[in-house]
Amino acid sequence: MSFPILSLLILTPIIGALTLSLSSSTQLKNKTIFLSGLWITTGEFLLSLLLPIFYDKSKNGYQFIEFHTWFDKFDINYYVGVDGVSIPLILLTTFLVPICLLCSINSIQNRAKEFVIYFLLLESFIIGVFVSIDLVIFYVFFEAVLIPMFLIIGIWGGENRLYATFKFFLYTLAGSVLMLLAIIYIISKVKSGNIELISDFTFDQQIELVLFLCFFASFAVKVPMFPFHTWLPDAHVQAPTSGSVILAGVLLKLGAYGFIRLSLPFFEYASIYFQPMIFALSCVAIVYTSIVALRQLDMKKMIAYSSVAHMGFVTIGIFTLTQDGINGAYFQMISHGIVSAALFLIVGVVYERHHTRMISDYSGVTNVMPKYSFFFMVFMLSSVGLPGTSGFVGEFLVIMSTISVSVYLTFFTAIGVILGASYMLLLYKNINFGDLKSDIKQLADLTNIEIFYFSCLAFLTMLLGIYPKLLFEMINKSISLSII
Amino acid sequence: MINLYQFIPEIFILSLILITLCFGLFNKDRAISLNALGFILLSILLLNYGKDFYSSTQLSLNTINLFVLSKIILSIGSIVFILLLKRPLKNENLYRYEYVLFILFAILGSFVLISSNNFLTAFIGLELQSLSLYLMAAFNTKNLSSNEAGIKYFSLGALSSGFLLFGISMIYYDTGSFSLQNLDNFTAISEIGLSLVLISLFFKVSAAPFHIWTPDVYEGSPTISTLFFATLPKFASLIFLFRVYQELNISDIKSLNYIFQMVCAISLLVGVYGAITQKVIKRLLAFSSINHIGFMLLGIMSYQFMSEGTLFFYLIIYLITTFGIFAVLLNLRTANGEFIKISQLNGLRFASNSKSISMLVFFFSLAGIPPFAGFFAKFFILSASINDGFIFLSIIAVLSSVIAAFYYLTIIKNMFFNKLEIELLDDNNKTGKVIFIASGLIITLFFIYPDPLINLVDNLFK
Repeated sequence: MSFPILSLLILTPIIGALTLSLSSSTQLKNKTIFLSGLWITTGEFLLSLLLPIFYDKSKNGYQFIEFHTWFDKFDINYYVGVDGVSIPLILLTTFLVPICLLCSINSIQNRAKEFVIYFLLLESFIIGVFVSIDLVIFYVFFEAVLIPMFLIIGIWGGENRLYATFKFFLYTLAGSVLMLLAIIYIISKVKSGNIELISDFTFDQQIELVLFLCFFASFAVKVPMFPFHTWLPDAHVQAPTSGSVILAGVLLKLGAYGFIRLSLPFFEYASIYFQPMIFALSCVAIVYTSIVALRQLDMKKMIAYSSVAHMGFVTIGIFTLTQDGINGAYFQMISHGIVSAALFLIVGVVYERHHTRMISDYSGVTNVMPKYSFFFMVFMLSSVGLPGTSGFVGEFLVIMSTISVSVYLTFFTAIGVILGASYMLLLYKNINFGDLKSDIKQLADLTNIEIFYFSCLAFLTMLLGIYPKLLFEMINKSISLSII
Repeated sequence: MINLYQFIPEIFILSLILITLCFGLFNKDRAISLNALGFILLSILLLNYGKDFYSSTQLSLNTINLFVLSKIILSIGSIVFILLLKRPLKNENLYRYEYVLFILFAILGSFVLISSNNFLTAFIGLELQSLSLYLMAAFNTKNLSSNEAGIKYFSLGALSSGFLLFGISMIYYDTGSFSLQNLDNFTAISEIGLSLVLISLFFKVSAAPFHIWTPDVYEGSPTISTLFFATLPKFASLIFLFRVYQELNISDIKSLNYIFQMVCAISLLVGVYGAITQKVIKRLLAFSSINHIGFMLLGIMSYQFMSEGTLFFYLIIYLITTFGIFAVLLNLRTANGEFIKISQLNGLRFASNSKSISMLVFFFSLAGIPPFAGFFAKFFILSASINDGFIFLSIIAVLSSVIAAFYYLTIIKNMFFNKLEIELLDDNNKTGKVIFIASGLIITLFFIYPDPLINLVDNLFK
């Protein structure tokens, strides 16, 4: 492959950010800045569309490979390539970033230039994580993502933003440094950072368990899994809408992606050994956080907790170690990326108009905002897992694959679905139905821009729900390779 | 017959000192520029002919390369420092040419220290360096805290010199030699003597638990002197510590090795523990430097793997970052004088783009977060230490760097999230600005394209 499409994907946003930062901020209006950001990210999205078009689904292994020596002496290489597992996530990223910029044109008034620059940097770092097939650059991008996110939450967040952003940064960093040690150890053993080579290497069983736990610490914080999830509600509540969207939509997937890409192929023995622990934690995550979500007064917090529950499905699916399970988990990741992003946008719409996120402050919204209620319903049902929407396919496959492991597991997972339905329906009912409050009356319905991006998201949800083969075609082969 | 050829760098500095002494009486501006020129000449000389100077000696090639590389780094550092010092000294009404003399003497001492093969020469070098440093700490004679810093530094430094001499005399009593190379058959007495020598060196590089002077001296001294303490003399002492560790095979001596590991672990932890609660910028930097010394000691201990490159990479990146941070601090002034508290950095983002973004780069780099060169510096040290089996120390090191990230983030928070509170004076210090912007760029570029630095280090160690 001569055309360096992956490097181009990584570099385009960075170059865009550099150009923006060199332009003088006093002359540019906010709108111009956002528009230029939108042009760059839309171009990036179109560029990323080339990946599925030219990707050869019949071949094994990575494609579009680029290899450059970076540190000659230490055998650290810039080595990128994609396979079926990474392409959908790259598309999800490039798809969500323009939406993030679109939804903040009105809400971000101060320091707009910085905002767009941080988002562009964030985008290129995230893409970097998904395309890297060398452990060191994987870690580099994985870690670099923290910087723009730290600034986005810290500058444009809510009133308690400092606490949230510090918690987010330090939690994730503490997890990642353990992974760094494990990476260094692996590289010193295997003498290479190449992911494929490491997959073929067998470690001592005891050591493998420790290494697995080091990687687990990092990914479990990112996903987040049950005892490490407490940063997520804080970060979501305090982040601006666009921050929440990218956080729920893509950043949480980095952890799950790490499990599929690194943990499973590297540590086959340990993955089986720790299966019960991960199932237990995920079950607790699903049931406990669903119950917690049921009692939340803040809409964003409720959706944040529902994210933890949904990601519980993902980890269960991944660690069933079956093709169906991982397929389902992966589907759930993509679906959750679209749906939770949409739900945070939904919250953002009313927050922007009414400046409160308390559920009790809303009632009877459907009377004044019918279009809004319609889109809310689509995403709510998808989150619940109604057949025909994308939420259904993933949950169904995961639950089905758990039967082969244990019926109890199936039971708890299924309870999660019921609880999920109850809190989402409750949320929908409380906000949209009931008496019309007097201060709700002047709320305006969706603008054309909002309708535009909600329709895109809704279309994707339906498309994946009705024709899931679209995604499975892409991932099947790659996932079957990562199973033991 | 003594071959003077190998002393050319030292003689060069000595003649610079003499010229400055005479010339400085008449025109201090010219004298200072002359020194910058002299150091440029010296670094070119070392870069091209450095190895030839030592070819007549019986030293191993590795040691010669070590000498040359460290001396090049020291002279380049001195160029930057001499270019930087004019404006800050003028601001404090301290602009006298004697200050440059102290620097020259300190650098001369550092040169002697680095290339000494003998404990007594090392002592002379160390004392020459330290005495200049005491004077630089107390250079602001009208300021009480500067005097306090000088006296504290002097009295504690004298104590540590006492340790050093006592240790050396114990080694001499036991082995009958001052040489670094001929110490093979150790008895308990030389071990005790060597441990005293190590303690004194730990004091000089401010490794915990011998760090007590660091925060006070950093805070009290004029900021420009603090920059000097934090960089070049420390670098020289660290190189000598590295040589002692290497030449005497301390890794084979169990008791001393144990001391080394303890000091490394304590430095890592005390550094971060002390820094968290600090409200004064220079005190925070003092404690953060203690944490970094912990990393460097880890690098010294695990030098077998991947040669000296890892240690030097770390040192160079650390020097550049420190120069950058202090260049920003020296460029920040309010009506009341220099910036003292961390809270004064509030809202720097709105006052100056270049300063705040450079600081962001420096602190993320110090915290070891990619995409900045500090990440690879830490990465290599950790690779080396894990390869050499210091797994427990590596875990302490990474955990300490997570805690360190907290206080670096606090500074970034103050600059980027808080509102501007103080009115900045426009200092218009062009050289300072050039230095911190250049450091910021280097830190970022070394991450993307590290080959020049790696090759430089590599070629000299071949």
